[in-house]
Amino acid sequence: APAIAQSMPKISWRLTSSFPKSLDTIFGGAEDIAKRVAAATDGNFTIQTFAAGEIIPGLQAADAVSAGTVEMCHTCSYYYVGKDPTFAIGTAIPFGPNARLTNGWFYQGNGNKLLNEFYATHGLQGFIAGNTGVQMGGWFRKEINTVDDFKGVKMRIAGLAGRVVEKLGVVPQQIAGGDIYPSLEKGTIDAAEWVGPYDDQKLGFYKVAKYYYYPAFWEGGPVIHAFVNKQKFEALPKAYQTIIEDACAYANTNMMAKYDTKNPIAIKELVGQGTVLRPFSQEILEACFKAAMEVYADISAKNEWFKKIYEDQVAYKREGYLWNQLSEYTYDTFMMIQQRSGKL
Amino acid sequence: MFDFGIIPPAMFVGMIIFMLYGFPVAFSLAAVGLFFGLIGVVTGHFEQAFLQALPLRIFGIVSNDLLLAIPFFTFMGAILERCGLAEDLLEGTGKLFGSIPGGLAYAVILVGAVLGAITGTVAASVITMGVISLPIMLKYGYNPRLATGVIAASGTITQVIPPSLVLIVLADQLGRSVGDMYLGAIGPSILQIAIFLLFILAMSIIRPKDLPALPPEARGELNMALVWRVLAGMVPSIVLIFLVLGTIFMGLATPTEAGALGVVGAMALAAMHRRLSWDLVKQGMHSTMHITAMVVFILVGATCFSLVFQGMNGGLWIEHMLSHVPGGAVGFLIFVNCFIFVLAFFLDFFEIAFIVIPMLAPVAQSLGIDLIWFGVLICINMQTSFMHPPFGFALFYLRSIAPRSVKTTDIYMGAIPWLCMQLILVAIVIFWPETVTYWLDHTPKVDPSTVKIEVPLFGAPGGGNQMPNFGLPPMNLGEPPKINP
Amino acid sequence: MSSLLAVSRGIDRVSEAVGKFSGYLVLACCLVSAGNAMIRYAFNYSSNAWLEIQWYMFGFVVLMGASHTLRCNEHVRVDLVYGALSERKRLWVDVIGIIVFLLPACLYLAWLSWPVFVLSVREMEISSNAGGLIRWPIKLVIFAGFALLALQGISELIKRIAGLMGIIDIDTKYEKPLQ
Ligand code: NA
Ligand code: NA
Repeated sequence: APAIAQSMPKISWRLTSSFPKSLDTIFGGAEDIAKRVAAATDGNFTIQTFAAGEIIPGLQAADAVSAGTVEMCHTCSYYYVGKDPTFAIGTAIPFGPNARLTNGWFYQGNGNKLLNEFYATHGLQGFIAGNTGVQMGGWFRKEINTVDDFKGVKMRIAGLAGRVVEKLGVVPQQIAGGDIYPSLEKGTIDAAEWVGPYDDQKLGFYKVAKYYYYPAFWEGGPVIHAFVNKQKFEALPKAYQTIIEDACAYANTNMMAKYDTKNPIAIKELVGQGTVLRPFSQEILEACFKAAMEVYADISAKNEWFKKIYEDQVAYKREGYLWNQLSEYTYDTFMMIQQRSGKL
Repeated sequence: MFDFGIIPPAMFVGMIIFMLYGFPVAFSLAAVGLFFGLIGVVTGHFEQAFLQALPLRIFGIVSNDLLLAIPFFTFMGAILERCGLAEDLLEGTGKLFGSIPGGLAYAVILVGAVLGAITGTVAASVITMGVISLPIMLKYGYNPRLATGVIAASGTITQVIPPSLVLIVLADQLGRSVGDMYLGAIGPSILQIAIFLLFILAMSIIRPKDLPALPPEARGELNMALVWRVLAGMVPSIVLIFLVLGTIFMGLATPTEAGALGVVGAMALAAMHRRLSWDLVKQGMHSTMHITAMVVFILVGATCFSLVFQGMNGGLWIEHMLSHVPGGAVGFLIFVNCFIFVLAFFLDFFEIAFIVIPMLAPVAQSLGIDLIWFGVLICINMQTSFMHPPFGFALFYLRSIAPRSVKTTDIYMGAIPWLCMQLILVAIVIFWPETVTYWLDHTPKVDPSTVKIEVPLFGAPGGGNQMPNFGLPPMNLGEPPKINP
Repeated sequence: MSSLLAVSRGIDRVSEAVGKFSGYLVLACCLVSAGNAMIRYAFNYSSNAWLEIQWYMFGFVVLMGASHTLRCNEHVRVDLVYGALSERKRLWVDVIGIIVFLLPACLYLAWLSWPVFVLSVREMEISSNAGGLIRWPIKLVIFAGFALLALQGISELIKRIAGLMGIIDIDTKYEKPLQ
């Protein structure tokens, strides 16, 4: 059938991931996209996936897509806050919406529309293609009970979250990746945050820092994006555009499902290995919330894009968290109590 | 072989020809990469825009904080060498063992091991060792092949002895903790040192002329006075070693920063011995600048090569060749080690770690191979990538500092027995996994189904581990029942 | 030829000045790094700007220092063949190598690096770490490093051609007392 052949031209793309293959859940998102696209096009549209550093260093994936070096990448939008703080909203900002509200805002609210207008100014078209769910607040060598305990804590924490906790006296330290473990072990730094139980377990931080704090208020539902070079995307046949969009949506759901399945086991193993779980206190969360609001007011005063998109997200979040109190919160709390009493 | 076109294997051939031509390695590597880049654009493997990845990769190299170790440790070595403190250490050890044939060689191996426990980069270690010990060994009539071989090998061993850049990169690629990799490498490092020492012992029996004992007038009479003088001469360097290690253990510095503190410490020591001068510091920093630029520029050239290699589907080609791996853990390991050994002729360890290891790790895991053991094994094997004639980086570094009287062929021939010893260790570790696993943490893994986690609820009474209630009354859903831990 | 040699001497002087400066940066980099560690330990204080300045200096040393390293003929070679050649043939190896390998590679890399720098300026890109540094200076160094290296290549080319013509004496020994 020549008509089909015409609508299904042979195309091969390269996708660079910002993650190593060892992060199988996150890197797996890129592989999901490639597999789905190949399957849906009968192998006519192939996407070759590369891990961080194979062709492009992890933190420059979006640059490479903008420049047309590769057609596509799988990365965190907030790695590029140095170009424009608006990039942070694409992944997660402190006290942003949780994973479920994030999906709502992107798919049905204005999230995708507004951010893609912004990404277009960098030659990018973004699709949300993965979520880790709320992350853990990181590994601490000592207990953090009060805001005062935060003063002088040397912590490896990146991006806007670093700016927020810095206001409370934390010393954000971006030391080399390979130096983190030995530095945490010997107390050169006091704390480090990474992802959640499943990924953190592999790095072995539990051996050198006992207290595992939760939640990562700076990553309530962080998104992993697939960015496509806008020109190259628009040059695709309509069918291929839709297939990419669907493949990303699949990757988005599947990554969340993997984390929801793997984290509960990993957290038990970690506790079995001596990890002590600790919640951040109300005082700390409130102080950080206040600091975050100051940071946002600060950025909004200087950056139109940030202000516009941030305010839209806040409005969505406000309504979402009202409804959540009636729905998820009540139901979940009841179910959690059943879980604790062993009735589930 | 040619399922992915003829170009990926042709790139290796091209690399050999370009390098043998004799123009500086860094530019030859860049040129061969870009030459094939041109071919790639013409043959439609990629567009010209693909090569726009190069500045991003170069940015990635200079922003890699771990590479700071190269100038730091090189500078430290330069100061120690110029102020004569390092020579005191080596000559001292050599004098103590001077009456035995091969005394200096034993000293070089031991000093290499100690240096290996401080630095994590082969470049810094080989250069420091070569500058300090090669002239002395040649002066006392050592066979140049033996002298250069023992130095290159003892310098290369730093990558197996923690701290180590190679182990860090491998841990990252295998998804294991750096700490476990370091523990696992302890046994093999000790074994490797033992094998080296035994080889010198054997050589001193078979061919004593190649590694003569120091003449009595050079070593002095072995009495308490000599021992005392030698020890006194060794103290400063030993203090420095403990200072550098100590700053890491105290939590004062990251392993990379420890190198910088080592520089400050070396200058302080030199000053205490009244051997510090501005001239000495200036010479040191300028030669460090040259070495750093030379070494890191090789990485810049190599990055051009490997980008184009990836663009030519070289990664898929290697993956395809690995798809014929024989079954069974031992068969797999033997095949993989042979494969990496051959690949190490052409690619440096960074490239191997990034291209090959991620393909091997899932297979190894499915065969039930412990990934720490696997990683340490690969690390030992990759020592050889520094020692392969004619492209081993350790041999380049040694060539760049050896006097003209030492022929390049001597350096190449001298490396071969040590290469074999490194492979012997690979075999030992394959058939005797306890060399690695003995040192690992053996606390039994907890069955997750037996672990109970008690999460405090909002507003529930409790101690320090209490969840805040955020100012709301507690949810009135009944007091949660107590759960036994 | 003599005017070309004057150009070559001018380039050499620039490389030498940049190289000297890079040498001082090695020392500065060590002191900053040691200082970072000690201040963090003693006062629980540190800043990402001071951490990043370390690798900015490292980048400068590598990329800008490479030219002076070339001038001193200290980039390592596989000298199996080169080492066995006569002086004159070595000059030829370098002349061809500079024209075929070094100049195209460096000019092309400089050309690729320029838009990366321009983009960084246009975005006023800063580090993504709290309190980090502005990015364009180090991206400019990537461009400038290759540009200077190409210039130094031209200077070396002039000297080697002059050497082949017997106008000047050139020492092709490339191994040297390091450290
Ligand atoms: Na995180
Ligand atoms: Na080491």
